[in-house]
Amino acid sequence: MPVPEKFGRDDIMGRGPYEKSGMVADTALHPLKTAKEHFEITLDAAEDGDERTLDLKVQLWYLPYGTMDSDPFLWKEYTETVTIKL
Amino acid sequence: MLTKKRAHIFLSCVASLFVFSLLFALPTTGYTAGVGKDGTIAAQKGKATTLDELIAMYDSSSCYDCHGDKHEEWSQSVHARSVYGTGRTAATFRTAFLNGFMDWAYSGVESPEDVEVEHLMGCAKCHLPQLADATDDVAKELVATVFDWMDAYMEDDMETFEKHQETLLQLNINCLVCHNRMAITHKWTDGYPQDGVVYGFNEGFHPDDHFTEMKPSPILDESIFCGQCHGLGPNLELDNPTQCATAYGSHLWSYVANGGDKSCQQCHIHESGLGHNMQSYRSQVMADKAVDWKVKVRPMVWRDARSVHPKVMIDVALTNNAGHGIPDG
Repeated sequence: MPVPEKFGRDDIMGRGPYEKSGMVADTALHPLKTAKEHFEITLDAAEDGDERTLDLKVQLWYLPYGTMDSDPFLWKEYTETVTIKL
Repeated sequence: MLTKKRAHIFLSCVASLFVFSLLFALPTTGYTAGVGKDGTIAAQKGKATTLDELIAMYDSSSCYDCHGDKHEEWSQSVHARSVYGTGRTAATFRTAFLNGFMDWAYSGVESPEDVEVEHLMGCAKCHLPQLADATDDVAKELVATVFDWMDAYMEDDMETFEKHQETLLQLNINCLVCHNRMAITHKWTDGYPQDGVVYGFNEGFHPDDHFTEMKPSPILDESIFCGQCHGLGPNLELDNPTQCATAYGSHLWSYVANGGDKSCQQCHIHESGLGHNMQSYRSQVMADKAVDWKVKVRPMVWRDARSVHPKVMIDVALTNNAGHGIPDG
C-alpha cells in the first residue's frame, strides 16, 4: 500500500489525511504490473507410503486500516485439495 | 518649505496616483482574473451563509424527474455521501479539527468558532468542493454539525443524531457539482461554468425552469475530470497541504507510463456497466476487473537428513489491470 509521509518529512508514516504529504514507501500493486508471491508449507514428518491430504485456501485480503480488526475486505479466494503421497 | 511650484507637483502626483489606483481598481468581472467568473452559480447567487443555503445552491432535485435512472445509480455511490461516507469520513472531519487545526501552532484555530472555509478545504477540496462558495459561518456550522452529530451518538440521542446525519448526507458530489461546477478545468481556455447551464456532451435547450441550456464539457469524459479530486499527491496549493487520494498521480506516472490508455470513465462508468454508480473494490464487478489472480500449487516430498516431509509450494501471481495503484482512491 502507499505509505504516506507525515508532513512530508523523515520516515514517519502519516495517518490522517490532514497530516499526510509525500510517501515513505509504496508497496501497492502497480498498474499493469504483476506481483509474485511464493509460499512453502512443510508438514510434519511422515513415513514412506503415507498419504496426506491438504485443504488449501489462499486468500487475498485488503486491509484499509491495516488490521483484520477494522473493515477487512476479502478480495480473492482460491481453494484446492492437494494429496501428497510419500 | 512647500512652495507654490512644489505644491503643484505634489498635487499632480497625488492626482495621478489616484487615477492610476482607480484604473487598477476598476473591476472587469467583479472578481479576480478571468472573464465570465461573474456568471458562475456562486457568483450569481452570492456566497452561501448557512449549510441550508449551500445545499440549496447546488440542489439537484429537479434533475431527478427526467434522469431518475442516473439518480438511482448515483445514489448507490460514495459520491452521494461524500461528506458522511460510512460515518467514518464525517468523523475524520472532527479528527482533522482536533488533531489538526487545534493542535497546530499557526493555524489560528483554538475553538470551533475560529474555523474558516480555508481550514476545511484540505478535506472539502474533494469531499465538498462547493464549500469554497460559502462564508466562514458555514465552515463553523459544518464543524458544529459534525461535533453535535457525534455527541448525539455518544449520548444515544438518536433523534438529534439522525437530524444531523440527514444534513451531512445532503452535502455531496451531486449532479450540479460534476455537470456544472467542476465541468471545466481550463477556465481561461474554455470559459467559466455558467449558472443555468448543464454541461455534458450535447448543446442546445435543456427543459428545466432554471438550467435551460446544455453545453458540452470538454473534459467530462477525460481522466483529468476525475483527477480534480482523485489527486496527484499532496495538495500543495493549500497553506497546510493534505493528501488523501493519489490515484490520478498513479494513473499518469505509472499506468500511462506503462502503456495504459484507458480513461477513468471507461472502466468505472462504461465497461463496468455501473454508469453513475461509480464504485471501487467493494463492487464485485470492479474487484474482478481490477486484479487477475493466478495460483499454482505444487505438492512435493521434502527430505532432510533422516526424515521425509510432505510439502506444498504455492506461487501466486497478481496482475493489476486497474488504471492506478491498488489500493488507492
